Amino acid sequence: MILVIAVKKKSDIKNIDIRGKVCPMTFVHTKINLEKMEAGDIIDVILDFAPALDNIPKSCETQELAQLISIKEIPNKEKKEWIMRLKKL
Amino acid sequence: MDLSEEQLIRYSRQIILKEVGGIGQSKLLESRITLIGLGALGSPAAYYLTAAGIGNLKIIDFDVVDLSNLHRQILHFTNDLGQTKTSSALRKLSELNPDCNIELVKDRITAKNSKELLKDSDFVIEGSDNIATKMLVNDTCSYMNIPFVIAGVLRFQGQIITVIPEEKTACYRCVFGDVSGVDNSMSCSQAGVIGLIPAILGSLEASEAIKYLLNIGDLLINQILYIDLSQNRFDSIKVVRNNNCLACGDNKEDLANKLNYDIGDSCEEKI
Repeated sequence: MILVIAVKKKSDIKNIDIRGKVCPMTFVHTKINLEKMEAGDIIDVILDFAPALDNIPKSCETQELAQLISIKEIPNKEKKEWIMRLKKL
Repeated sequence: MDLSEEQLIRYSRQIILKEVGGIGQSKLLESRITLIGLGALGSPAAYYLTAAGIGNLKIIDFDVVDLSNLHRQILHFTNDLGQTKTSSALRKLSELNPDCNIELVKDRITAKNSKELLKDSDFVIEGSDNIATKMLVNDTCSYMNIPFVIAGVLRFQGQIITVIPEEKTACYRCVFGDVSGVDNSMSCSQAGVIGLIPAILGSLEASEAIKYLLNIGDLLINQILYIDLSQNRFDSIKVVRNNNCLACGDNKEDLANKLNYDIGDSCEEKI
């Protein structure tokens, strides 16, 4: 599912690479980065652990941390990888 | 404060809590707690404070480990008999979490040294085994505006109160008044105590400290939480600050400078 709400300039978007990490470290890394951001800022999270595609957005919503903007699968990868875009609340 | 990857993993299960996060964890790592007593109350408190990542822990105890301690003072083991409680604690706590800087004070807290020992504390946990020390800590912290918690146990019962002087909450002296001359002989060594009650009360003391540092939840202020394990009672008894209290009232005094707290030897027999 792709839901596009709004984006800033690409250069303003924070990126974190948490490939290789599993839950709950996927959320831990996402959370500590979100804590350093301002409301409205965008973060792209690169990950390869499928359960996190559900867990991170749910935890972000429950804790009123961030809103899911989009999840895109990165094409042409042997192992599935995704970019999850979140907007800090 | 940036957390290392190892710290993120170590504290991950509390970082993911809404109330903690990386910000809260950093606060804990930068905090300074003073713990009086490494006995039955201090043991679980020390364990949980260290495990949670309190960055600076000052522990005060003058005593040595005795065989009769081991059923409840779980910080100390059979191999520690005869060792000072401070050195016994240091070994275990350092191994549990090297993030925690532990300062040992192998001494008794008295009216002469209480201000020096307790200054620079973000929070004080009182875990001694006698009412005179509890009142001294109450009076010193109230005068110096240091938040603190006091607990006491006997048999199957225990009680706990948290005091935040700057918020003018009721203090130990508001509740118990002048305790000079109180018979201290009815202590754990005379009446007995089940190890589980200080386990709970000591853990609650650590919980109060962490909640205060993180500014989360509700503190046990303006109340005595009374627990009776044998009857499964967990009662909150409302208490009201005495505006004329000499320790915490509108005209509070430096009582540690005036009173004789009669802090003598513990009545427990030493083998």
